[in-house]
Amino acid sequence: MIKFWKKRAENSIATRHLKFDKDLEEIKKELKSKIGKKFAGSLAIRMVSSGSCNACEAECNALLNPYYDLERLGIHFVASPRHADAMLLSGVVGVNMYHHILDAYHQMPQPAYIITLGDCPLLEGTFEKSVAIKGAKSLDLPIFHHIAGCPPEPKEIIEGLLTFLKHLP
Amino acid sequence: MKQDRLIARFALEHSNSFEIITLFDGKVQREKLDKDNPVLKSISSRYTTATWFERKIRDDFDIKIVNAYDNRPLIHHERFPSVALMKKEFMNNEIKFSEYKPYKYESVKGDGVFEVAVGPIHAGIIEPGHFQFSQEGERILHLEVRHFYTYRGIEKVLEGKTLMEAKKMIERISGNESIAYQLAWFDIVMQASQNGYDEKLKKYHCMLLEFERLIHHLTDIGFIPNDAGFGAALSFASMLAEDTRVFLKELCGHRFGFGAVSFDVKDYDKDKIVEFLDDLDSRVRWFEDWIVDIPSLWDRLDTTGVLTAQKAQKYGVVGVVARSSGVKIDRRDGDFYKKYGFVLQSEEIGDVASRFKLRIKEIYNSISMVRNFIDSTCRVDKPIGFKDGEYTSFVESSIGEIFMFIKLKNGFIERFYARDPSFINWQALYLMMEKDIIADFPLINKSCDLSYAGSDL
Repeated sequence: MIKFWKKRAENSIATRHLKFDKDLEEIKKELKSKIGKKFAGSLAIRMVSSGSCNACEAECNALLNPYYDLERLGIHFVASPRHADAMLLSGVVGVNMYHHILDAYHQMPQPAYIITLGDCPLLEGTFEKSVAIKGAKSLDLPIFHHIAGCPPEPKEIIEGLLTFLKHLP
Repeated sequence: MKQDRLIARFALEHSNSFEIITLFDGKVQREKLDKDNPVLKSISSRYTTATWFERKIRDDFDIKIVNAYDNRPLIHHERFPSVALMKKEFMNNEIKFSEYKPYKYESVKGDGVFEVAVGPIHAGIIEPGHFQFSQEGERILHLEVRHFYTYRGIEKVLEGKTLMEAKKMIERISGNESIAYQLAWFDIVMQASQNGYDEKLKKYHCMLLEFERLIHHLTDIGFIPNDAGFGAALSFASMLAEDTRVFLKELCGHRFGFGAVSFDVKDYDKDKIVEFLDDLDSRVRWFEDWIVDIPSLWDRLDTTGVLTAQKAQKYGVVGVVARSSGVKIDRRDGDFYKKYGFVLQSEEIGDVASRFKLRIKEIYNSISMVRNFIDSTCRVDKPIGFKDGEYTSFVESSIGEIFMFIKLKNGFIERFYARDPSFINWQALYLMMEKDIIADFPLINKSCDLSYAGSDL
């Protein structure tokens, strides 16, 4: 472990993309204050994949890396829908996931918000409504916010979450 | 007795018969079935991984399988109506949910034995899938993997499209293997248009593929220690992975390489690549040097989730999982790749530690290969016409061997089939649980890092 601490002392903060970091800092500041006001400092998100190609999940995982580090802003990806304020829904809503998404949604405490992630759920991208693809609209659940992109980049997801917070009543 | 490796088994529909194609390593078997009363004899007693292939054939085409020990549906879940989606006569664009039919899981019965159901929605940020454990206290007695929650019917949707139209969907079969799928598609495009594969273009494509492998492996060398409770490794390695992804975007315009494989090479800065690779190489070396010195981590990784070479061969597993068990199969093992510095990496023991070490070795090999793939830009003409026929292609993705089959008729796709490496490896996952406790499952699962979307299609 000594090696690790030595390395840490050598280069303490990762600054690789200066311009990008600057933009991000601005967004993050705003995000933190919004979450502080509207969710008492902690926004819990339940990520549900309903038949995506796993790129959206990879980008959400990337949000937790040291460059973005969402957790320090108070955004947590939680393990149970019962702990969640919002559901981040990715994927095309395939036939085999349809009822499981409904189950997960009904386990969430109200008010529960659905945020669709990527082009898939609203069938705006490559995938169209077809025999095994139902799309998020068929769920008949209120979709509160949409983050577009295929897949949306981490920065776009952060911006999307910020707009989500701005739109909240 | 050494047996051939089963690569794929799938059905084709003709106007008055079904044809079952069974592909082994080095030979193909074709079998015609009567269309009115199709009956297929199972080979699952000899080739265990034929089980999922045959269950899929039955669900897709309503072909009766005899002599099978597993007759449960695979794609047809609890509320899936009993319709054979893949049949040509099935033209509906929508299916209605049917009554709930319970699925009978494989389970061990006995005093004190209990079952743990995990999924389809998991605790982390991950795709859906179900794992059913039979437990004796902490010890895993049996695990059944049940997937196909992300089933999107891609095979059906692609029918009737042209090769060029199909591209966008093929690159989204599995996000973390996107470039590999695109290469398989491109290979088939080249075969069907009877154009030669320009060497410079091939070098560029292979470079992208190695970048994809780098990203996948870098992510994994962080996630594996993280699942053993060593989070610092994830922080470090996810930084490397993110840097590589940002660099891939600079190189080809997309963080996952969607749309990257086409008929021309985008102009790129050669010095910048070399500089990036030097930096990456030194940081991975530092990471390796650091992580080999953490005894509590290796205590978790060593001897956990062992897959012996004998079992790996019997199940015909592919990719990283196979090579970690000492089964030396790699689709890159040919003249072209060897010319650019490919060396087949392998480990012997087949535990989580082997898979972890193998990934680090492959990272070094990929870095040196990318250096050799650097070349000038070029451009080839878009093919105009495609010749009808059956085409197959193999590509080694970051998980393992991808097999793709496309049959063209009048210029349109008559049948599309792709077998992801995960489709085989998922079936062998339970073998690795024999001596382990349930707390080791996430670690073992992550060390294989298989794709859900790829195997479900």
